[in-house]
Amino acid sequence: MVTGQVRYLSTLAAVIVFGVVASSGCVVVRAHQRGHLAKRAMTDDSDVGEARFTAHERGSREGAEGGTGEPGGGCGCN
Amino acid sequence: MRLQLAFAAALVAGAAAPARADGTLEARGVYYKERATRVVQPMLDAMFDAGLHGVATGHFLVDAITSASASSGAAGDKPFTEQRYEGGLGYAHQLGDLTIGADAKYSTESDYRSFYAGLRGQLELGQKNTVLGLGGGVSIDRVSAAAAQGLGTTPTLRCDADHAAESSCPLHVYALYGSISQIISPNAVVGVSADLGVLHGFQSNPYRQAIVGDGLVIERHPTARNREAFAASARYYIASTATTVIGAYRYYRDSWHIHAHTPEVRVVQELGHDIDATLRYRYYTQDGAYFFHARYPADDAAMTQYVSDDVKLSTFTGHTIEGKLGVLGDAVSLPGMWAAARFEGILEYSIQNNRFGNAVIAHLALTLPFAY
Repeated sequence: MVTGQVRYLSTLAAVIVFGVVASSGCVVVRAHQRGHLAKRAMTDDSDVGEARFTAHERGSREGAEGGTGEPGGGCGCN
Repeated sequence: MRLQLAFAAALVAGAAAPARADGTLEARGVYYKERATRVVQPMLDAMFDAGLHGVATGHFLVDAITSASASSGAAGDKPFTEQRYEGGLGYAHQLGDLTIGADAKYSTESDYRSFYAGLRGQLELGQKNTVLGLGGGVSIDRVSAAAAQGLGTTPTLRCDADHAAESSCPLHVYALYGSISQIISPNAVVGVSADLGVLHGFQSNPYRQAIVGDGLVIERHPTARNREAFAASARYYIASTATTVIGAYRYYRDSWHIHAHTPEVRVVQELGHDIDATLRYRYYTQDGAYFFHARYPADDAAMTQYVSDDVKLSTFTGHTIEGKLGVLGDAVSLPGMWAAARFEGILEYSIQNNRFGNAVIAHLALTLPFAY
């Protein structure tokens, strides 16, 4: 288990470092250029209630629960 | 009478005062139906500005679950209904480019209790072109077989192989997640995320039985599980047609040897200023847990250390198709604050080539922004 956690944290750190380094070379989009980026579909097109139900429903039908940010929530359907 | 006048005056004064903060209220109802289970879930979500730099959130929901599935505790395929209640609170505070927050939620039903608490942070870099997110949480759950139908008493559970049967068993979940999103042009944003989950405790279904030899044996799953999920997504806005295209992919693996791939595509089409329509397609495929078998031999101790009849742990694929329509109140000339209200309907059809079969999910929602 410890090996798995170390491997995971190493991967996570590598992804973050890669992302920051890669992003530093990107074009900076200034605030006045972000009209399209502010649209609902470009920020988060799912409301919090929809996202919560979807995560719960998939957790009860699929083995790959998780990957949505937080655990728990009951259901009794392990 | 004086009290009524004072109350009316206070109301008028309140109405005349300038708005100092904003919030939203969301009411949503969901209907879910699969072969043996039907769920109706009404829920309320609220978000309020709290001071100049804070946002408070809260939610409450009820799951009304009607099931004839043995894995829910039903006896002899006779359906029964139980309720699950969940409430949660959260707070986030902005400190310049850094936002920190905390969340907690509690869920209770007859055979499952769960308490979750978590912390999260978000850092904006490069004039907000880059956003880093990091968070973690702990869930402390307790499982029993209290929903077992047709029995005079609540069955006991073997929490693990080393202990005698008890009335309930613990399950602890530790989660860590990180994400990066990056604006790459005035029309495009990409993101990656990674999640880790470490589970310790009772992870079997308290009612389900696996076929061992010619008989049935109550399910036994390992008590430890490590889960990892890596995801990437991209959003692109096509200005000429007012269309947003979203692509996403998630890879999942865990210490039970389940690997899953989930590609997904969504297209959001604006229809004027006040209406949007979304089409979603999602593909899901996974391989099975190393200990999952349709039948277990009675004379093989190694194979029967863990036994399972959990369809979620088998090899299968799935397809999901969804349509969503969102309409602002302004589109139908609603007055005042209702003009900014969003009405939403979702219809989803999920296909799985396993015993769960297909499912239909429908949402109706109203989101109402307000000032106070």
